[in-house]
Amino acid sequence: MSSTPIPNLEGSNQPWASTEDRSVQIRSLNYFFGWGELRKQVLYDISLDLSRGQIVIMTGPSGSGKTTLLTLIGALRSVHEGSLKVMGQELVGLGSRQRVDIRRNIGFIFQAHNLFESLTACQNVEMAVELTGQFHDKRQQAAAILEKVGLGDRIDYKPQALSGGQKQRVAIARALVNQPQLILADEPTAALDKKSGRDVVTLLQKLAQEENCTILMVTHDNRILDVAHRIINLVDGRLESDESLQHFVDTHDPKSLDRRMFIM
Amino acid sequence: MRTPLALLNLIHDRKKFLTSLAGVAFAVLLMFLFNGFKNALYDSQTQLLEKFNGEIVIINRLKENMFVPRSFARRRLYQARAFDGVEAAFAVYTSDARWKNPETKQTRPVRVIAYNPSEPVLPTADILAHRDDLTMLNTALIDRRARAEVGPREAGIITELADREIRIVGTFSLGTDFAAGNGNLIMSDQNFLRYFAFRGPEEDERSFATVDLGLLKVAPGTNVQQLVQTLREQLPQDILVLSKDGPDGFVMRERQYWEENTNIGFVFSLLTTMGFVVGIILVYQILYTDVADHWSEYATLKAMGYDNLFLFGVVMQEAIILSVLGFIPGFLVSAMFYNLAAGVTGLIFRMTLERVVSIYIMTFIMCLVSGAIAVRKVQATDPAEVFGL
Repeated sequence: MSSTPIPNLEGSNQPWASTEDRSVQIRSLNYFFGWGELRKQVLYDISLDLSRGQIVIMTGPSGSGKTTLLTLIGALRSVHEGSLKVMGQELVGLGSRQRVDIRRNIGFIFQAHNLFESLTACQNVEMAVELTGQFHDKRQQAAAILEKVGLGDRIDYKPQALSGGQKQRVAIARALVNQPQLILADEPTAALDKKSGRDVVTLLQKLAQEENCTILMVTHDNRILDVAHRIINLVDGRLESDESLQHFVDTHDPKSLDRRMFIM
Repeated sequence: MRTPLALLNLIHDRKKFLTSLAGVAFAVLLMFLFNGFKNALYDSQTQLLEKFNGEIVIINRLKENMFVPRSFARRRLYQARAFDGVEAAFAVYTSDARWKNPETKQTRPVRVIAYNPSEPVLPTADILAHRDDLTMLNTALIDRRARAEVGPREAGIITELADREIRIVGTFSLGTDFAAGNGNLIMSDQNFLRYFAFRGPEEDERSFATVDLGLLKVAPGTNVQQLVQTLREQLPQDILVLSKDGPDGFVMRERQYWEENTNIGFVFSLLTTMGFVVGIILVYQILYTDVADHWSEYATLKAMGYDNLFLFGVVMQEAIILSVLGFIPGFLVSAMFYNLAAGVTGLIFRMTLERVVSIYIMTFIMCLVSGAIAVRKVQATDPAEVFGL
């Protein structure tokens, strides 16, 4: 399907590489919810490398820990055990203040667009630019990225006046405007119809290539699996499989695939 | 410049924004009204006293406040006039009497203030203009700001005061207080005797021998405090000599009496506080709703790398904007109510800068407290929770 050269398909079993081309490096990560008697392990011994420029789709039944892993990589939770490096920076043992700094270099895309209804598309994107302190040309930056996501003629519209797909594209523009090296997306197409979902993913793919950034996307939507370089399957908090798209397609009969992997 | 997120969030929904402002304005109005009534009651007690022309006041030692009908011997005034620095001494007589409303024929007690019209006891233009009219038989001036229950307040009225005919020859502007709940009349000392010398067996007999209030006019450049001290030492101890103004003065003493011996202050302070608390609850509701409605957006901001301080700033800005924009209509409506209440009650409602500023400060604190409570919701927001929603 995808004809682009696929870097680093080897997955997690390869030896440690230099940190420059590793956007994410996870070693023996365990994660628990709760304390004491109620302590429950949700992630078991995860080891995973994401190379720069890769688009990685994470699948798995609900409750398998996908979202938890995503929030750990996104420095939204503190890591207890193991090692988790994002763009060369170890997250284990970081305080909440330092985690805020890490997050500024990550683009987040959510299932809901989470745009402020009171702000125009441009202002919503500008909120992200303001984090970098570049106040003088924030509007130009925001307008440029909105142009790129195909909303050049909608920059002063409020979310109310935009369609679902357009709103999600504004959210993508907001996530990308500061040129993060890593983008974390949580079911970005779930709230969209087939065509808008497709457009959004194609757009993400194109922008990721241009900026050479890594995308980790959680999705149940098997219509968009083809954009991935790698597909990771998480079951019950364990890394079940990690394979290239081609291998994945070859070994999975579409019907059984639906049953086995996409149980909601 | 930063995107003014706080302002845009507030005004995004116009209807909600106007409702919010109305809420704040209502709390401001409550505080203004209760505070206004408290101040009006206090201010009104002293408005007559402040108008008296004189630097030193002599009263009966037992006259604790203007309600107490104790008089003192007029010869004390003559004695006082003998001291160096005293230029003139005026006698003022007061008494309550039944006034018949010329239209409804119902009687109401009013206070009569009497003095020699040739002396400048109350030297306001409208009173001085009728100085000669007052010397005529059975005449008086009526307060335009007396309560409506006394009937028309204008010159030319002929009715009854203490069961004798009286003719109103003019008006003046004063207002009511506790001792003169319905209003005041001014008449000459001669007429005063006609009405009050022999009112009947159960009433006190009045004559020029006793005076209710004495005013001393001092020569320019005189040290009033020192003169008061001298008079206190030299004159008999049945009277009290007070400077009119100043912290130990007659006006302050009257105000303090009402402050310390009545529950007005407590009651109205309590009501003002209630307005304040109502405001906190209202503003908290407004801000909390905003935060709750935009919970996932705020959480997204946190995920993007905004810290709690920024979100705290947004909510606090909303609080401050509400306090300013809600205060303005609240103030304007209050000013209207002050005029209305002053017209109805005859009390004086003063909107001084100091009072306006103090109510604004309360509004500001009210909004800050609400903001501080509401902001905890954002502070506690865990950005990890927006994932998987």
